[in-house]
Amino acid sequence: MCGIVGYTGNRQALGLLIEGLKRLEYRGYDSAGVAVLGDEGGGLRIQKAKGMIAELERRLEPASGTTGIAHTRWATHGRPSDENAHPFTDCGGKMALIHNGIIENFQELRERLLAGGHKFTSETDTETLVHLIESHYKGDLVVAVRKALREVRGSYAIAVVHTDHPGTVVGAVSENPLVVGVSPEGEVVMASDVTPLLPFTNDFTFLEDGDVVELRAGSFRMTNLSGRKVTRPSHHIDWSLEDAQKGGFEHFMLKEIHEQPHAILQSLMGRITDEGLVALAPKDVDKVKIVACGTSYHAGLIGKYIIESIAGVDTTVEMASEYRYSNLARESALVIAITQSGETIDTISAVREAKRRGTRTLAITNVVGSTITREANDVIYTRAGPEIGVAATKTFTTQVVALYLLAFALGLRRRTVGAEDLRRLREELRRLPAKVQTVLNSHEAIREAAHRLKDCQDVYFIGRNINYPVALEGALKLKEISYIHAEGYPAGELKHGPIALLDGRTPVVAVVVDDPVRPKMISNIGEVSARDAPVYAVGYEDDVELAKVVDALIPIPRTDALFSPVVAVVALQLLAYYTALLRGCHIDKPRNLAKSVTVE
Amino acid sequence: MKAVILAAGEGTRLRPLTVSRPKVMLRVGDKPIMQYAIDALREVGVRDIVVVVGYQKERIQTHFADGKDFGVNLEYVVQRKQLGTGHALLCAKDHLDGDFLAVPGDNILDGAMVAQLLDHRSDVTMLCTESAQPRKYGVVELDGNRVTSIIEKPPRRISNLISTGIYHFSHRFLDLLEREVGAGRFELTHALQAAMAEGYAIRGELTTGLWLDVVFPWDLLSLNARVLAGGPSRQAGTLESGVTVQGPVSIGEGSVLRSGTYIKGPVSIGRGCDIGPNVVIYPTTSIGHNVTLSPFTEVRNSVIMDNVAIGGHSYVSHSIIDEGTTIQSHFVTCAEPKLLLIENELIQIDKIGSIVGESCEIGHRVVVDAGRTIGAYCRIEAGNRIIKDIPDSARVV
Repeated sequence: MCGIVGYTGNRQALGLLIEGLKRLEYRGYDSAGVAVLGDEGGGLRIQKAKGMIAELERRLEPASGTTGIAHTRWATHGRPSDENAHPFTDCGGKMALIHNGIIENFQELRERLLAGGHKFTSETDTETLVHLIESHYKGDLVVAVRKALREVRGSYAIAVVHTDHPGTVVGAVSENPLVVGVSPEGEVVMASDVTPLLPFTNDFTFLEDGDVVELRAGSFRMTNLSGRKVTRPSHHIDWSLEDAQKGGFEHFMLKEIHEQPHAILQSLMGRITDEGLVALAPKDVDKVKIVACGTSYHAGLIGKYIIESIAGVDTTVEMASEYRYSNLARESALVIAITQSGETIDTISAVREAKRRGTRTLAITNVVGSTITREANDVIYTRAGPEIGVAATKTFTTQVVALYLLAFALGLRRRTVGAEDLRRLREELRRLPAKVQTVLNSHEAIREAAHRLKDCQDVYFIGRNINYPVALEGALKLKEISYIHAEGYPAGELKHGPIALLDGRTPVVAVVVDDPVRPKMISNIGEVSARDAPVYAVGYEDDVELAKVVDALIPIPRTDALFSPVVAVVALQLLAYYTALLRGCHIDKPRNLAKSVTVE
Repeated sequence: MKAVILAAGEGTRLRPLTVSRPKVMLRVGDKPIMQYAIDALREVGVRDIVVVVGYQKERIQTHFADGKDFGVNLEYVVQRKQLGTGHALLCAKDHLDGDFLAVPGDNILDGAMVAQLLDHRSDVTMLCTESAQPRKYGVVELDGNRVTSIIEKPPRRISNLISTGIYHFSHRFLDLLEREVGAGRFELTHALQAAMAEGYAIRGELTTGLWLDVVFPWDLLSLNARVLAGGPSRQAGTLESGVTVQGPVSIGEGSVLRSGTYIKGPVSIGRGCDIGPNVVIYPTTSIGHNVTLSPFTEVRNSVIMDNVAIGGHSYVSHSIIDEGTTIQSHFVTCAEPKLLLIENELIQIDKIGSIVGESCEIGHRVVVDAGRTIGAYCRIEAGNRIIKDIPDSARVV
């Protein structure tokens, strides 16, 4: 969602801030802005623009100064426009502020400030904040920020600069990410994510709720809202800047799809042996509740089948944003939260709610040191490496791999799976990188299939059993990046409604593997064909019978049905990618979408 | 100075090992062939490299990415159709602004060779070497250090000197190259002949460094043996008690070697492997990442690629098992001396086993006769004896 960058050091800030913003581009935004603080009382220079960062850059005029803040905005209050873009200034034009999140009580604060004579230029909640800080300012910026934030309800990450405090940037967070690092040259950098900091350092300090940080050249100081000093651990993250570059691929999404064999291998490393598994599973689990959003929710749905069939543990899956609305006073299940970024606010809130209901929580995430890793009792990292494409691919397959490992571990503890079966399953799991590679090798065939989808208005995806969530994920990928309307359905539900929408121009993509539900899938395909709808199937390469009843078969290698979701979904990722490519869509930055959803 | 690595070709003579990867990504020792070129360039301080990719380019780009993990900066250009080496080099033209190096991505070479080239710059300088099979390469005649002729794959023997494909070019050579390619003469040798005719000074430097080429799949075994010999020992992973490791053996992170396993180097084992109990590995063997070798299996003088699983009580000797292949128990490769007919030429090989292509599934108790190749994506059912070559995607019942 919105992105924040702050810098103070010995180099000119403007170029560095814009570079930093570009590294946050993938989070999604609709306007951008920058404020540079002139050195030695040189004043404040603010520039902002609706649209892409490139648009801001085009209009950019030089601004001298070694301290500044910059922002990408994803509209929540007030439409995308130059006026509503951050930074905002106070009445005196001495202070500039940028903000992520939502201020819930901004209307009442705004009325009070208006009554006190403050002048507003926009409809945003953010502008309220800057005037609020101004009203508390008596010469000490940090104190004013603290006093203002004590009056605020809502979620925020902010960065502030003030002309009376050259060389200083103040930041603060509540329920929004902000991370700080210091370069060997003593430059201090702050951002919503580690990627803008990578050119400066690999050691990061994450702010926690209620923290206020003051950056000055050479170091930073952290306090809480009551002014007491706090210290937070520093995390070393071994991502290089170049991990986040495209390396010759046309899009990050394609690069990340192709990285999956390696990413899966990384997430299996050292965990597939008895000793490795035991370390993963919490004790005494007899019920599991998975909470997640979007693609991670689909991984959770697959997890339900995996955990129930291997470990025999009753598992339910809930959308993280709905979890808190249940009236359960006590939670008895182990709550597993799945989030790529570890910053998804709905998932974090669900974990907090689960803890309040008195249960253990386990997070599956890709980002070391992210907020969820501090909230949950246990963490399994997916080790997929940075994912920049907005459409999740390798983080999805590695989340599913983490769920296999967890299920094996639970099965081992609960003795629900025999030694021989477990050995066979582990061997099959080890073969997944090779099977995924085989799907990637047939990318030309999938590109051909994409030609058949590219001019469609609607596409339906169907599957049953463990491949029903794969149908959901296939549909999500297609709609996210190609803007074709797509829906995933359990194949058995077709007759209960959607079949009315089928005709010769509405293709159906079916996921069919060799499991007990295959005959049912074949008869569902028959029902669809009878309505003239073209049927494309993702199925085993040697499934001659299936090939006969569909219009095209997208072949995947044979595997145990339990592991087929990981293999099948890669084919659907490529199908979505090539369809979007043929339609000329912005694959890495689809409209209206954000990589990490940090507002509710 | 920038360098261009030519990595667009498939290497059709190496099938089935190249059905899904370009020749440059074949693993020799503990790394893909192209990595030798990158390491050599970095050693002499050449860090800006343009890689010309084509066939299965994703495999190269996923492995090397931007090159930072390998200490270089990589840019990629795509040769859409593999017309010839001259055409491939021309694809990199827009990325070159001064003198430059051209290096083949599919040969094994070292930094000393590139350094020798840099020490003797001319309009064009080429590195030459002596070859036992000159007819497969561009054959060169030298007068002192002056190249007097270069002929691509001559039908009869002219000289034992061949071009290694490692060149230093002055920038103006690109204009000449563009003209030649525009006229449909796509090989680099065409442009060199034209340059000679126009009075370019073309210098030939004879190298004695280790320059190796894989022409046929079987070459991979001898190359692997030469590269692994003298390789370093670097052991990560877990060794259970009762594991014996002798000689230069490197083991990657996350690999587990179980009790009773006996390894005699030179051997290289990748990351995340599960080996043993009681597995025996003899020289000179290279094992990729995520490989499973089950109890009582013996492997000698072989190359086993990533993600392979071999069942218990198997015997794999002088063989190449390509990635993703799964083999059940009691698999036997009958390694013997063999006279092989390759491209109408009889070649005597001291001892060969078998080649198994990628992603095959092989049942229990399968025996493969010496010198036989099983194509990629085959399924061989239990109890079969393979007495002839099996094409790709075949099913043996």
